[in-house]
Amino acid sequence: MILPITIGVLVTGGVYLALQRGMVRIIFGMALLSHAANLLLLTIGVSAYRGEPLADRTAVDVAADPLPQAFVLTAIVITLAVTIFMLTLAVIGHNDDTKRMPATGEFHDR
Amino acid sequence: MNSQYLSLFVVVPLAAAALLIAVRRPALDRALMIGIPAGMTLAGISLLVQHQSTPVIAHNVGQFPGGVSIPLISDTFSALMITVTSLTTTVTMVFLTQTREDRFRFLAPLAIMLTAGVNGAFLTGDLFNLFVFVEVMLLPSYALISITGTWRRLGIGRLFVVVNLLTSTILLIGVGLVYAAAGTVNLAELAGAASRDPRIGFAVAVILLALAIKAGVAPIHGWLPRTYPATSAGIMALFSAVHTKVALYGIYRIYSTTYEGEAPWAPIIAIAVALTIIVGSYSTFGEHIMRRALSWQMVAGVGHILLGLAIFTQFSLAAGIFYMIHHIVTMAALLLTSGAIEQTYGSGRYERLAGLARRDPWIAVIYAFALLSLVGLPPSLGFFAKIGLLQAAANAEGWQAWFYITVVCVAAVGTLFAMQRLWSGVFWGPSMENYRPEDPNGGRAKRVPLPRDLLVRWNLAAPGAFLVGVQLVFFVLAGTLVPIAQRAADNLTNLEPYVTAVLG
Repeated sequence: MILPITIGVLVTGGVYLALQRGMVRIIFGMALLSHAANLLLLTIGVSAYRGEPLADRTAVDVAADPLPQAFVLTAIVITLAVTIFMLTLAVIGHNDDTKRMPATGEFHDR
Repeated sequence: MNSQYLSLFVVVPLAAAALLIAVRRPALDRALMIGIPAGMTLAGISLLVQHQSTPVIAHNVGQFPGGVSIPLISDTFSALMITVTSLTTTVTMVFLTQTREDRFRFLAPLAIMLTAGVNGAFLTGDLFNLFVFVEVMLLPSYALISITGTWRRLGIGRLFVVVNLLTSTILLIGVGLVYAAAGTVNLAELAGAASRDPRIGFAVAVILLALAIKAGVAPIHGWLPRTYPATSAGIMALFSAVHTKVALYGIYRIYSTTYEGEAPWAPIIAIAVALTIIVGSYSTFGEHIMRRALSWQMVAGVGHILLGLAIFTQFSLAAGIFYMIHHIVTMAALLLTSGAIEQTYGSGRYERLAGLARRDPWIAVIYAFALLSLVGLPPSLGFFAKIGLLQAAANAEGWQAWFYITVVCVAAVGTLFAMQRLWSGVFWGPSMENYRPEDPNGGRAKRVPLPRDLLVRWNLAAPGAFLVGVQLVFFVLAGTLVPIAQRAADNLTNLEPYVTAVLG
């Protein structure tokens, strides 16, 4: 039961943070949500079998399913890249609460 | 074309993007950002020709046996989507070079990388691989949406990134659930699985929900009209041609393969489709900016395309696919022409623009033909697209026929009036007296009197005009397009060639 409960806690925290004002909190919320998704993917490989999935090293009946692990690896890389990009947006965008415009001197009239 | 060449659709753009990041030559940038999508268009046409005799060609990447490997599959539907999106992308890239947006250092490699993801998403036959290719498509978009502007577009970039990352997480969870329930994420092995096993059905529904958010289906469409118009016209045309269409392609493919017909929750699709069409076309009234109005029309278009799926007959799927082709071309034509007007006269607001029909009659003619296509009046491709949808709706069972025909007609009236409002605001009325010219420091300079000889330059108008020309040609030659759409629909209803080609 530990894995489902952890996933539930992560989703709860992620949804709470993603609904906050302020970009940094939203980013933390998205990070928690993606961790929840990654744990869910690991659960799919049935957590009872967790021997390393290497031929000649582990018997097939205890080896973990390598495919969900590959899924998680791909997902982690993508989320990490997007998280860093979002943090960049949080830094160089304008102030979240005052909507103060940076003084760039330009004018837009769409 | 031999089946192992299918991976070139992904490999060539990725390699070109890598080359452009390493080598900094503006001429090379331009050559590749136009040349690669143009080459993809030709390759897509050759695939379409080949599919007349062989319905499906599949390639198991790395020559692993079927079921274990990641397959790349091309059939008439995916080849048609590659051809149409690549053609539109090519024209959009030409527009981007004419507005000098390609001066931004990484625009060309990012845009080419985007096409790699799009082609991959169209060709893949594996759900997890679909997730990866959607991410390959989205990651350059995160940068592209704010690259051509300054701080104002960064705010929009935030919204776009957060919505899409959340949706991707849901998509990933859905793929995981499918693997948990079925033990495979290979679409050919999942054929008909969702209607047999309710657990797989639920998992597939999660994937479809994620794709529906990405497509902009009401009531989760709100992000689309808020983010797309805030970026530049060229980038918006690029996004409208590929982003929502990849999601719609995924919905068509996954729904018809895994459910093989009606899902038990099919009424939800019917309601969502009707809501999307009505909300999209009537929300257009509330906008005063050309591209914002058009973004609501994009939402309405998504509803029309999904109508083919909601009815789910061979004919309705063909009609939906036909509408998708029309929508990609027409929307890009409208957005690029609006962009040319904005670029020249400094604004896209109805209040700031006036009397363009007298001042700049050629632009008015181009825009008028594109609007006719959007509303569905002849002479335009949109006329046949809408007739096809109505005919498909008329053949639906029971209440559905009346319901769908009413929705489409009511929405068409709304679109017609909203577009007349755009027309009278922008093209009719007194002559314009002043405008804000482009400021060399970025953005727009102070308001100055409008010189008499300032017109939309031909090189800005040409991309939109070309696409209007394309849809007029296919108004005349609609007979060549209909069998292709029918073969594409046949790929979705008759799964046997697909499954045999992939699993051997």
